[in-house]
Amino acid sequence: RPHSRPRHPGVRTMLPLLLLLLPAAHGIAQLGYRPALSKDPPLGGLRTASTFVVEQPRCVFKDYGNAVIWLVVALEQAASAFNNSAGPGTPETAFQGFPDPVRAYMTLNATLGSYPCPKPDGEITVLRVGSETSCAQDETRPTCNGPLPGPGPYRVKFLALEGSVPVAETAWSVPIMLKEAKSLNSISTTDGGHSADMIAITTILSILFAILLAGLVATLFFWGSDSCGGSGTFSKPESVTVRRYNTHHVYDQPAARL
Amino acid sequence: MAKSDDCVHILQGLLVFGNVVIGMCGIALTAECIYFVSNPYGAYPLLKATENSDIYAAAWIGIFVGLALFALSILGIIGVIKASRTLLMVYIILMLITFAFEMASCITAATHRDSLTPELFLKQMLERYQKPANNSDNEVTKTWDELMLQNHCCGVQGPSDWQEYTSAFRLTHSDADYPWPRMCCVLDAQGLPVNLDGCKLGVPGYYNSNGCYNAISGPVNTHAWGVAWFGFAILCWTFCVLLGTMFYWSGIEY
Repeated sequence: RPHSRPRHPGVRTMLPLLLLLLPAAHGIAQLGYRPALSKDPPLGGLRTASTFVVEQPRCVFKDYGNAVIWLVVALEQAASAFNNSAGPGTPETAFQGFPDPVRAYMTLNATLGSYPCPKPDGEITVLRVGSETSCAQDETRPTCNGPLPGPGPYRVKFLALEGSVPVAETAWSVPIMLKEAKSLNSISTTDGGHSADMIAITTILSILFAILLAGLVATLFFWGSDSCGGSGTFSKPESVTVRRYNTHHVYDQPAARL
Repeated sequence: MAKSDDCVHILQGLLVFGNVVIGMCGIALTAECIYFVSNPYGAYPLLKATENSDIYAAAWIGIFVGLALFALSILGIIGVIKASRTLLMVYIILMLITFAFEMASCITAATHRDSLTPELFLKQMLERYQKPANNSDNEVTKTWDELMLQNHCCGVQGPSDWQEYTSAFRLTHSDADYPWPRMCCVLDAQGLPVNLDGCKLGVPGYYNSNGCYNAISGPVNTHAWGVAWFGFAILCWTFCVLLGTMFYWSGIEY
């Protein structure tokens, strides 16, 4: 009897599977790592107006010892449209063309040797994006790590290239917003108000001064009224000597009569 | 008569004592105000460079008021002992004038202290620090550098002042190279940053992360409250002595 059944029952499903696997064999490995702003130690300059600091991708590209690891910095809207095959150092990915017309640039290339694994304790392993100011305008340095031109938001990812072929990439980071400086004229210097101390001092001293002035006026207009003790004014030191003089006369008189 | 005599003597004694205290307080006030005016480590250099030195007017008035109080207290003691109407009337009027001046000094010190807010210093620092080509602004730059160096501090509220606001400094120094002035970095003996990258990153230990406002407001507060409250205390005492003197004066026969 002839075979009417196919020899391999699953060949229909296997074929699409094979077709799927073929591109993957030549495709880019998606590493689960997501680049993020540096967390430890807390940095004062984590985000400035034109730079930001991301963690180095330690122990992420372990399997790609021959690759060169690039950092891709993109405008948030352009992140998903980035073509991994665009080579670094070309006009399409040159920093000097960022953000218009270049929407994503590649910089900070390093080999795996620069990111040894595991990370030693106590070392600060960061990458400062935007720290090279000398080459920012230099067209001959398209992979310059120049200062970012605006507050963003930006997204970054790491891309490993072997020669010119991308072999592995990380996920895109969350959108990173940089700081925007407010105008210094917005600082209001007239808002102080008066402290309680100043109000207390002013009120109490004014009251005391008013009482003194009133007392002076009263003294000048109503002088001669009673003092302490009640019975008339007290005498000056000179009047004491006068009294002594009178006493002297009283003693003299009986002597004169005799 | 004897009772009245005793009463008089007690009043005279109290007034003499009151005047002695006024004399001593006058000397103390003069000494305190001379100290504030001449202390080189206080806030005076910065306040003078930024034209905020009105608070020093209160100290200057205090110097002369203190000397006047001392002289008048001697006059008062003589007047009370001699029970002279003219001397005492001169004493009372001159004391009232001194009272008014000291009152002005206290209120000036308190009011100007209130006006020295962090926002005022912040705005002046941002406007004038490292502003090129202006003599008075060079003075401001020098005093701020000196202040940040001596007190290991940066900005008014912190290095973030330079990030949060535009400034004259930012116009001439790029944000990537100078997130904050070099003076905010921890410097070695030669005056160079110990670790420039650490300073630019903001690694704790390589830059000064606290603001200078405490270093400024400490001396300013001491100065203001020293002048204002000590003056207030002297004036309260003087008030009592003057009332007693007026009472005594009205009782002297003429």
